[in-house]
Amino acid sequence: MARLRTPPALALPLALLLAIASCARHGGAVAAGVSGGMPAWEPVEPLAFDAPPGTALRRVLDAGVLRWGCDPAGGAPFALPAPWDPRELVGFEIELVARLCDHLGVRSEPVAGDWLALIDNLRAGRTDLVLNGLEVTPERAEVVDFTVPYYRYGQQLTVRDADRGRFASLADLRGHRISVLNGSASVDVLTGAGWAEEDIAQYEDSLTPYAELKNGRVDGSLAESIIAGYYAPGVGGLHNVPGTFSPGVYAGAVRKGDAALRDAIDAALRRMMERGELGRIYQRWGVWTDAQRELGTVRGPDVARIDLAAVDAATGLDWGAVLAELARATAVTVLLTAISMPLAVLLGLVLALMDRSRRRVLSWPARAYVQVVRGTPILVQIFLVYYSLPMLGQVLGLGDALVWPALVVGIVCLAGNYAAYEAEIHRAGLEAVPKGQREAAWSLGLSQRQTLWLVELPQSFRIILPPLVNDLVAMIKDTSLVYVIGVRELTSVALGIGKSRLIVPEMLVVAAGFYLVVSLAADAFGRRIAARLRRAGLPRPALAAHATHRSAP
Amino acid sequence: MSGSERSDAEAVLRVEGLRKRWPDGRVVLDGIDLEVRRADVVVLLGPNGCGKSTLLRCLNLLEGYQEGRVLLCGAEVSRGSAQGHAPTRDEQRAVARLRQRIGMVFQQFNLFPHLDALGNVAMGPRHVLGLPRPEAERVARDALRRVGLEDRAHDVPGALSGGQQQRVAIARALAMGPELMLFDEPTSALDPVLVREVFRVMRSLAFDDGMTMLVVTHDLDFAREVADRVLFLDAGRVAVAGTPAEVFASDDPRVRAFLRDDAERR
Ligand SMILES: Nc1ncnc2c1ncn2[C@@H]1O[C@H](COP(=O)(O)OP(=O)(O)OP(=O)(O)O)[C@@H](O)[C@H]1O
Ligand SMILES: [Mg+2]
Repeated sequence: MARLRTPPALALPLALLLAIASCARHGGAVAAGVSGGMPAWEPVEPLAFDAPPGTALRRVLDAGVLRWGCDPAGGAPFALPAPWDPRELVGFEIELVARLCDHLGVRSEPVAGDWLALIDNLRAGRTDLVLNGLEVTPERAEVVDFTVPYYRYGQQLTVRDADRGRFASLADLRGHRISVLNGSASVDVLTGAGWAEEDIAQYEDSLTPYAELKNGRVDGSLAESIIAGYYAPGVGGLHNVPGTFSPGVYAGAVRKGDAALRDAIDAALRRMMERGELGRIYQRWGVWTDAQRELGTVRGPDVARIDLAAVDAATGLDWGAVLAELARATAVTVLLTAISMPLAVLLGLVLALMDRSRRRVLSWPARAYVQVVRGTPILVQIFLVYYSLPMLGQVLGLGDALVWPALVVGIVCLAGNYAAYEAEIHRAGLEAVPKGQREAAWSLGLSQRQTLWLVELPQSFRIILPPLVNDLVAMIKDTSLVYVIGVRELTSVALGIGKSRLIVPEMLVVAAGFYLVVSLAADAFGRRIAARLRRAGLPRPALAAHATHRSAP
Repeated sequence: MSGSERSDAEAVLRVEGLRKRWPDGRVVLDGIDLEVRRADVVVLLGPNGCGKSTLLRCLNLLEGYQEGRVLLCGAEVSRGSAQGHAPTRDEQRAVARLRQRIGMVFQQFNLFPHLDALGNVAMGPRHVLGLPRPEAERVARDALRRVGLEDRAHDVPGALSGGQQQRVAIARALAMGPELMLFDEPTSALDPVLVREVFRVMRSLAFDDGMTMLVVTHDLDFAREVADRVLFLDAGRVAVAGTPAEVFASDDPRVRAFLRDDAERR
């Protein structure tokens, strides 16, 4: 009787997406290697370890891979997308861990994540090591175990060229706003020097503090010398005040209690220090200072420096590769939406039906769910599911059953969040079906369930199609939120490329174009279904139950 | 087809002492007793708000009631209950079985707008009687033929006139092979020119098919011409009952007032 069939056109994009999904293998993991001009290391005999069963070290050795956390958006020269191919990560820490893994006899697998969340990721069991410019502080030492330090840094002040004469030290900037990298040691330095919180402008990445300095929103920028040395010249018009102060060290971090793993990493790091390998890496990336000797690092023979800016200039921007990478990231975005939205509509229906139930054991949880989900920011939900759920799993003795890959967490959160809104839409839609329809069905002898599936839902679906399409388009844009857990979707990839090449505005415009195209396509798709349904019978949906959607927080 | 010929036939429907209160305490049905014999057409008359629709809805339990009982073909199918009807799964199934035996035609047609005429009529046979699809559609086509709409099988309700829609609704009820058909003002929502085609179908159901029918209508001509018995309802009670001739000749003041109002309305 129902003359509508699933449009066969649906099958093709779905198959395509599944194919892409299988390419986007493991959530936040990104390809890293040494190519495109990176020199290769000589083979080395791995160290031998005593790795008791049940330890993290045993797991790493058995798996043959070390998953470690870094934030490519944190940028150069630590870990960043390669200028020659945005899919590849490069940087002195990428090379450092790759070589470290040679000594351990395993493969290096960097797992991208927001810098402030790298430790959460470690504790959640998604990585076994964090090594990404993590300053050793007493607070951090309480939640993780540090390896031996591998780098000695100092703070360096940057001011505008024009202010060279006015500001020659931090003291000269007293009372002025200063920009820093969010959560970095520079924050502590400023606080210790008496800066008020509102005069410390914190940003999520290494580039923005300098851009803000150039724009004049702050009068100085404080960062570790490595960062200042790379970004300030890139932004231009800025002056790095000579000399560093408030020294500190970077070290790797493992979960508290993973002593065997830490010892192994320590041994490998010491070997690299003594053999001059670490010194060669630092020279190559232009971060060698004589202060490194204090940690026992041998400088080693002279090595030519990799000048990323020069590589940029030599290769130019390969727009073909960039667009291909953005297209791939768009596919991830589409995939997220294509899986999450149908799930949200289904789950929303279940919630709406539970809500309608006369039994409180059903209606109550549904109502509570909708209220809680609608009453909390989706960003908080994503963090909770990604970082807190795994810890809850450990507390409950579930092992790592609740440690889901970032892509899965993204889908769960988007679907779960939107379900609360779709539930309201379903509710409005079901209420908009006239009561007489139900009574006519009942008087034929149809059961409640048959009435729902054969009479009420087909009609309510036609009514709610416009708001559903509206939410579909909204979700496409909200997928950008899952970049915070390292899913390489459109926004994060565009920002990553933009920051590593210092072309953020250009990349944002291009990404916006991609979003627009996908949104328009989704809208057209929704309209086609609506037109099909109309042709198949029902008059135009009358209801405008537009649960107007909030956008990103 | 005179009333006396059928007077000794079995009672398809018996209502005994049916009382219903709304939740606010108002009594809407105040002890209804009535009987509809096989192949009889009984017309319910009465002023607005006297409880005619509510009575029909109680018969197939679209509404619950508190006291009395309803028998179908001599067997009790429901009785008054304080808690209301059909809370448990088993009871729901029993209610669904009861509804299969009673066809209902609504004032507002209530056709399923997302299905064509055939789909509407085949819904019951297919999903309630569980017939395979071709069989269900054959039954549905038969029913559509009986209301003269076999050529409109693939039109959706929106493409049909009001009279045609109501005829499809009648066919939908007919397709279940009911023992009793309830009509709640089947022509009130129709333009006068469309009323006749619906009554023609109902008359043919009564005379040619011997369908047992309980009809709420304000159309006195239909009552005169087709009804075997007329019940005049007032304030939740059967005030006057008898053959059409008896009731229309009654000197009960409520009936007189009703007939006077009706004459004025024309
Ligand atoms: N769900 C309800 N709850 C409370 N009161 C109701 C409800 N439905 C109907 N009523 C009231 O019950 C009374 C009887 O209604 P009913 O619809 O049965 O009358 P009727 O005889 O069919 O009238 P009409 O000729 O207008 O169709 C009316 O006073 C009406 O307002
Ligand atoms: Mg009525």
